[in-house]
Amino acid sequence: MQALRTAATGMAAQQLNVEVISNNIANMNTVGFKKQSAVFEDLLYQTQQEAGAQSSDQGNIVPTGVQIGVGVKAGSVYRITGQGTLTDTGNTLDLAINGPGYFEVLLPTGETAYTRAGNFSTNAQGQIVTQDGYMVQPTITIPQNSTNLTISQEGQVQVTTPGNTTPTVVGQLQVATFLNDAGLDATGSNLFMESAASGQATVANPGTAGYGVIMQGYTEASNVDPVSEITNLIVAQRAYEMNSKVVTTADQMLSTAVNTKS
Amino acid sequence: MDNAIYVGLSRQMLLQRELDIAANNLANVDTVGFKFEEMLSSADEVPSTKPGGANPPLTFVTANGVMRDYTQGSLTQTGAPLDVAIDGKGFFKISTAAGTRYTRDGRFKLDPTGKIVTQDGDAVQGDSGDITLDPKKGAVTISSSGEISQSGAIVGKLSAVTFDSLSALSKDGSNLYRNDSNLTEQPATSAVLKQGMLEGSNVQPITQITRLIEINRAYDAVSTMMSSTASLSSNTIQRLGAVNAS
Repeated sequence: MQALRTAATGMAAQQLNVEVISNNIANMNTVGFKKQSAVFEDLLYQTQQEAGAQSSDQGNIVPTGVQIGVGVKAGSVYRITGQGTLTDTGNTLDLAINGPGYFEVLLPTGETAYTRAGNFSTNAQGQIVTQDGYMVQPTITIPQNSTNLTISQEGQVQVTTPGNTTPTVVGQLQVATFLNDAGLDATGSNLFMESAASGQATVANPGTAGYGVIMQGYTEASNVDPVSEITNLIVAQRAYEMNSKVVTTADQMLSTAVNTKS
Repeated sequence: MDNAIYVGLSRQMLLQRELDIAANNLANVDTVGFKFEEMLSSADEVPSTKPGGANPPLTFVTANGVMRDYTQGSLTQTGAPLDVAIDGKGFFKISTAAGTRYTRDGRFKLDPTGKIVTQDGDAVQGDSGDITLDPKKGAVTISSSGEISQSGAIVGKLSAVTFDSLSALSKDGSNLYRNDSNLTEQPATSAVLKQGMLEGSNVQPITQITRLIEINRAYDAVSTMMSSTASLSSNTIQRLGAVNAS
C-alpha cells in the first residue's frame, strides 16, 4: 500500500522538523545565534491516468487525470537572520552589531569566517580575538598598559596610553554584509562561511548606509523566540501523529482485506 | 451473483487510491505552497446482459480524476529577502532542464553568477528571461507587482502567470507544476507579491483525518457486504446440493 510509505515520508519530515526546533531551543542562550526553520517540498507523482488522454473515439478528453503523490521531502533548512536583542554586559570587548553586518574572523586555515557573536578578548600579543583565539579582521592590537578602551558606533578603536591625556586611535573595525545572508554556511562555533547562495561579502565601516552600528559593552542574544519554538514543536508533533494515523488506517484496511475471506 | 463482489472490489480499489491521496495530503501538511487534492469518482454503468433487461444494470465505481484545490495557503514571515509569496492567483515561472515549470514556492536564492534561482538551481523567469542581480549593490527590494530593485534602480521584474483553467496543470514533484495542455499562460494581474514571506500548505488536517475515518469505514462496510455475498453463495450451494435422504 502506497499510503504506508507516503505516511513514512511525512513522519521522517516531521522528525527533521523536530531536530531543527530542538537545535533552536538548545541555542536559546547562544550569543549571536540565528534560528532556523525547515521547509518541505512534495515528492514525485505517479500518473495513473494521463490528463488530456482520449476517453472515447469521438475525441473526448480526460480533463484532469489521476495523479497520486508519494509524500514529502525536506526542501531546505532556513536561517532567519532577524536581529537578536542586545544584552548589556559592561565588558569593554563585548561588541554587538545593531543592524545588518558580520564581524570578519581569520581562521587558522587562512579562510575568512563571519560572526555576529562579538564577545571578544585580547590574546598575549594584545590582538582582538574571538573566544576561540581567532583574530578579528582587520587586526587591531591594543597596546600594553593602555587604558580607557573605547569603540565608537562607527567602529573606531581608541585607547589612552600611559603618559598621554588624549586618546589615540589604534584601529578601525569593519563589518561585512551579504546580499542573502540566510544563504551563509554555518560551520559551528557561531561562525559562518561565504557560500554561492549568500553572494560575496561587501565590507564597510559600521554605520555606513546599509550597515549596522557597533554597540560596545553589549552582546547580541539569540533571536530564538521560545514561545514560537514551543508552538512549532506542538505543530510538528501533531503532524507526526496525523501521519501515524494514516499508517494505522492503512493497516486496518489491510487487515480488513485479509479478513474478508473468513 | 458474483457481480456484487466485483462491484465491491471496484469500490475497494478506489478507496485505496483515496487513502494514498489523503496520505500525501497529510505528509505535505507543512509543505511550502502545497495544494491539497481529492479523488473524483464516477459511476460506470454496465448495461444488462439479459434480453429485455430483466436484471438491473450493474454500476461499478471508477476514478474520474484528481481535483486540486487551489485556495490560498496562509502566509508566514521568514524575513529572507529572496523569499517571495504570491497572494492571490498566479505562479512563478521556472526554467528547468526539462522545460518550463510553474510554482507557488518562492524560496529563491542566488547562484554564483548572481542569477535568481530556485533551491534546486533552476532559473526563475522574469518578464524578460533570467534575472541577474549584482551582489555588490546591496539590499534587494521586491515590490508587490514584482519589480526588483537594488540601490534604488529597477534591475528586473518577477512575473506571475496564470491559466484560464488551472486543471491544465499537473504536479511534477519538488513543488513544481507542468503545463500539459495547449492553454497558454497569461499574466496574473490580481497577484500580489510579498517579499520575505512564504505561502504555507492549504491542507486542512481535520478534514483529512475525517477522510481517513470515512475511507476506513467504507472499506470495512464493502468488505462486510462482500463476505455476506460470499456466504450467501456458499449457503446456496450447500442447501441446493444436499442429497435428500427421505
